Amino acid sequence: MNKLNKYIRDGAITVGSLLGAFALSLMFQYIFDVREHVTTIFVFAVFLVSVLTDGYLFGVAAAFIGTVAVNYAFTFPFFSVNFMIPGNLISGIVMIAVAVLTGALTTKLKRHEATKAESERERMRANLLRAVSHDLRTPLTTIYGSSTTLLENGSVLTEDQRLRIITGIKEDSEWLVRMVENLLSVTRIDSGQVKIMKTPTVLEELIDSVIVKFRKRYPTQKIEIELPDEMIIIPMDAMPIEQVIVNILENAVQHAVGMTRLKLKVYESGQNAVFEISDDGCGIEPKRLETIFTGYNSSADEVADSQKKNAGIGLSVCATIIKAHGGNIEAQNLRTGGAVFRFVLETEEMQDDTE
Amino acid sequence: MIQNKYKILLVEDESNIRNLVATMLEAANYQTILAGTCSEAKSLYTSYLPDLVILDLGLPDMDGMNLLDFIRRDALTPIIVLSARTNEADKIAALDKGANDYVTKPFGAGELLARVRAALRNARFSTSVGRVSDGRFELNGLEIDYDARRVFVKGEEIKLTQTEYNIVALLSENCGKMMTYAAIIKAIWGGVSQEGSVKKLQVNMANIRKKFGDKPGEQNYFVNELGVGYRMNE
Repeated sequence: MNKLNKYIRDGAITVGSLLGAFALSLMFQYIFDVREHVTTIFVFAVFLVSVLTDGYLFGVAAAFIGTVAVNYAFTFPFFSVNFMIPGNLISGIVMIAVAVLTGALTTKLKRHEATKAESERERMRANLLRAVSHDLRTPLTTIYGSSTTLLENGSVLTEDQRLRIITGIKEDSEWLVRMVENLLSVTRIDSGQVKIMKTPTVLEELIDSVIVKFRKRYPTQKIEIELPDEMIIIPMDAMPIEQVIVNILENAVQHAVGMTRLKLKVYESGQNAVFEISDDGCGIEPKRLETIFTGYNSSADEVADSQKKNAGIGLSVCATIIKAHGGNIEAQNLRTGGAVFRFVLETEEMQDDTE
Repeated sequence: MIQNKYKILLVEDESNIRNLVATMLEAANYQTILAGTCSEAKSLYTSYLPDLVILDLGLPDMDGMNLLDFIRRDALTPIIVLSARTNEADKIAALDKGANDYVTKPFGAGELLARVRAALRNARFSTSVGRVSDGRFELNGLEIDYDARRVFVKGEEIKLTQTEYNIVALLSENCGKMMTYAAIIKAIWGGVSQEGSVKKLQVNMANIRKKFGDKPGEQNYFVNELGVGYRMNE
């Protein structure tokens, strides 16, 4: 199906270019009475076809048609095919050579781009893996160390010390749970085999679920919520999207220093639902802003343990999830201070529910 | 004293988790019976007849669903499923096969005990009269008069349509229990769920929430589990 469409498109390009060349040549011939450039025009048309279509097929076909057309209509003797004249033969060979060479060149270029994208993905995966092994080890150290301390010296610790150690275990294991959730979503999407399963989701229910989850982790953090009045249904894989919003909210709590307001706003814009999470904290460093969704590479110039709860993984997970939904995500600094994260998902038309 | 405790059969193959959950339950004054495999659980179930079963779905000898079928063949004993799977489809399958509730690993003590309490209370109600005594239901300022089919929140009547009332009544009768979309649709509209009926339910729920003045993220009467169903908060 897809292949057929491509053939139709390439065929249209070929016919269009050749017709254009033909018309132009006719124009030159009848209006200006020059005919020396006919071959050049056709060579150019063949070149265009070779660049714009895939493979050699259409370029070479255009070259043959062009040769015959030039031979037939524009070179002496007019309106008859005669390959015996050396000039005609040469222009034919030139056109076919152009078609083959251009086709080879563009094919090579396209292949090169594909491998470049593949190696970019590979690099991101390696970055993620490195980040993960670091980020997993840190909380595990706490958990392992704390529990052995309790087992071996539990009796000599004061009640207060014990409580502090246990709280540490709880917090770090919560962090691990989130990390694993994030990783699961990424592998689920990245593996390519499991596609995003979109089901119609009610916006209000999504936000409700997000806020309940967020409250569990940050009971004291207030969030302002602004939703459209009418019911909005968005086809999505609800669990990963929920995770995206929680990740962004959490990112604000951990990194927006001096934040007093955290706002989650969703509004409709045509066929799209725009999700906006904004804070009035310290904003994002311009240098960091460039690579904020692409992974962990900025960590190289940071001190390894300066930020245990690095935003790197969380936000690159967000980008992966939103892209897999065919949406778009961006981060900006607000002129009034603070940062805003924005992503867009397509909504579903409300039709068959008024029975 | 022992006789007054609820007996809970805990089926879990990971010994660490089994010990942990047993400790959580015993600390909350429940009596626990422990099983590590499906076949062990079956024989323990028949000899002890527990008040509640906590079941891990991934067991070494056979799928936990098997035990679910075994118990549901002739008993309504509440079953809570423990699952590491975050996949909605698995939760729905377990609920539709007769599980009362599920808890996703990892979970905290508070979460598990709340589900256990709700499941036990639910079983008590549904085995006695089928609905809350004297035809009324009360919960945190929510009041339902089943005979008059009227609903009040903090003394104020809420005007609901037929369908909306039916949904609210159904959820209240199963208060604390997770009701899947399919289960609600079957009870309200009858028959099998068809294309579009989930959306019909979602629209009705949106209207109910609006009438109750529920706000996203607040302590509401209705809890939604995305892609699975609804539950009335206890």
